Amino acid sequence: MSEAAIFTEGLSKSFGAQAAVAELNLKIQPGAVYGFLGRNGAGKTTTMRMLLGLVRPTKGSARVLGLDPAKEAELMCILERVAFVPQRKQLYGWATPAEMVRMNKGFFPRWSDDGAAQLAQRLEIPMKTEFKKLSIGNQSKVALLLALAQEAEVLILDEPTAGLDPVMVDEILRTLIEDHVSQGRTIFVSSHHLGEVEQICDWVGILENGRLLLESRLEEIRQEFRLVIASGEGLPAVSSTNVVSATTDGRFRRYVVSREAERFAAELRGQGSTILEISPLGLRELFLHLVQKEEPCTLGNAGAKPAPVSSFS
Amino acid sequence: MYAWKCWRETRASFIFLLILSTVPALLVTLSPGLKEQNGWWHFDSSEYLRNPGPTSQLVSIMVLSVLWPSGFLSAVFLGATAPGSEIESGTIEYLWTRPRWRTSLTWTHWSVCLAEMVTVAVVPTYLAAAILGTLTRTWNLPLLMIAPWMMVIVGVPMLGLTTLMTALRRSAKGGLIYTAGIVSVYLIVRQLVTVPLHLNLPPLFAGPVIWLMNNKPFVPLSAFPWGSLVRAVLLAAALPLAAQYLLKRAEV
Repeated sequence: MSEAAIFTEGLSKSFGAQAAVAELNLKIQPGAVYGFLGRNGAGKTTTMRMLLGLVRPTKGSARVLGLDPAKEAELMCILERVAFVPQRKQLYGWATPAEMVRMNKGFFPRWSDDGAAQLAQRLEIPMKTEFKKLSIGNQSKVALLLALAQEAEVLILDEPTAGLDPVMVDEILRTLIEDHVSQGRTIFVSSHHLGEVEQICDWVGILENGRLLLESRLEEIRQEFRLVIASGEGLPAVSSTNVVSATTDGRFRRYVVSREAERFAAELRGQGSTILEISPLGLRELFLHLVQKEEPCTLGNAGAKPAPVSSFS
Repeated sequence: MYAWKCWRETRASFIFLLILSTVPALLVTLSPGLKEQNGWWHFDSSEYLRNPGPTSQLVSIMVLSVLWPSGFLSAVFLGATAPGSEIESGTIEYLWTRPRWRTSLTWTHWSVCLAEMVTVAVVPTYLAAAILGTLTRTWNLPLLMIAPWMMVIVGVPMLGLTTLMTALRRSAKGGLIYTAGIVSVYLIVRQLVTVPLHLNLPPLFAGPVIWLMNNKPFVPLSAFPWGSLVRAVLLAAALPLAAQYLLKRAEV
């Protein structure tokens, strides 16, 4: 079995009493395009920073391309082979993109001059304007250019398209698919734009309060995941391990079921509830159901803490 | 590449400091020969030949007087661009995700700044020495010959202090304010305790420059403030090492 491009085991980070990332287990295979989703403050950026040695884990471990970012010598090898676009795309205000390209080139042995020139043209970057004088969108494009021309084995992109217009977003997604996904590079991307994630990713992980709520193939979400809405008095506890999330909304209860939704619905019917709807879920609906739930519920324990019966009356 | 970035970032300050120190040094060096006649200024080089020894000595002290603040300023302003300053500005994520050891980044910056500081100290002083030597036809200018190196000895700990303060405060502004604050507070405290309490606190590491300013280059070596020099050398090494330690462990 090939080594995971990104692997974390019990990875945790706390800032004082606040747990930013808790017991995170990820295994991203080489060549995967992994969408890392979550609300603001869910722990996505902290996770990415831990992978790049910018933040030290409180507990647990991480491996990037089989190397440990907590060890400085191994971190240097990681940084040579991984490209990163941070959330805050701040570069030197005095430097022009052309100067940044020249400087960046010296750091990376696999740097592609042709790739940089092509990207500059495709993304319409004014290469001779000082970074501080560029618009937010152009600043983001420069950060992307520097990362993509690195010809890295792994791309870690933290909200790469923030601040870009739809035409540029489309151009960048096309570049990622054509130049990077097609070459089998691993992409670990966080984004709030779920449409973009659906366009390029084959895996998604949804993070909430530092915990991974869900990790699944996107294809599986489309084919297997269902929303089951049930209503009834005194709904009994649900014991199915296929329930990813359960939320109450007045008299109704919504279940996100990862597979065998019909069987689960039959189980509910058998326990006296009325099934109002069984519908497929898009990534957006799934995300909203998972992160907006009223009652904490993680994979496998959906039935452990059912809503009080009184909440249905 | 990082050395180029340090140079590119400090280039404007460096040129400004070089002009700031060279122009006054040249004016002071040429001032004995400047004469006003009928509302016009002209230069009379014969003035330098009347009393070449005392003229050289006087001009040397004047050059040193105008130059030594620029040694301090260059150390502080160049030091404020140290890697720690990039934490607040937000460029640190870019810098620390390049495959370079944080230790090497700290010392590369320090080396570039040291080279610039040496240039700012040496160029105006030796230029003044060359002009003065030519005009007085005497090349016995010990004060000007050693002055830049004394300024560097004072400047290097200041560079280290600013590097450390930017790492502690995580910003250029914070580094500048804290460095200026530490130096000012020490000088004020030193002044306050010296007069009423008759305590003579050491002038930190500025002893060699004070020694030069007091016009005692020819007293025996035993009178040289060796303690101050040792303090300067120790601080010159310890302060950037402390900054390196902080930055190596910093999280952003």
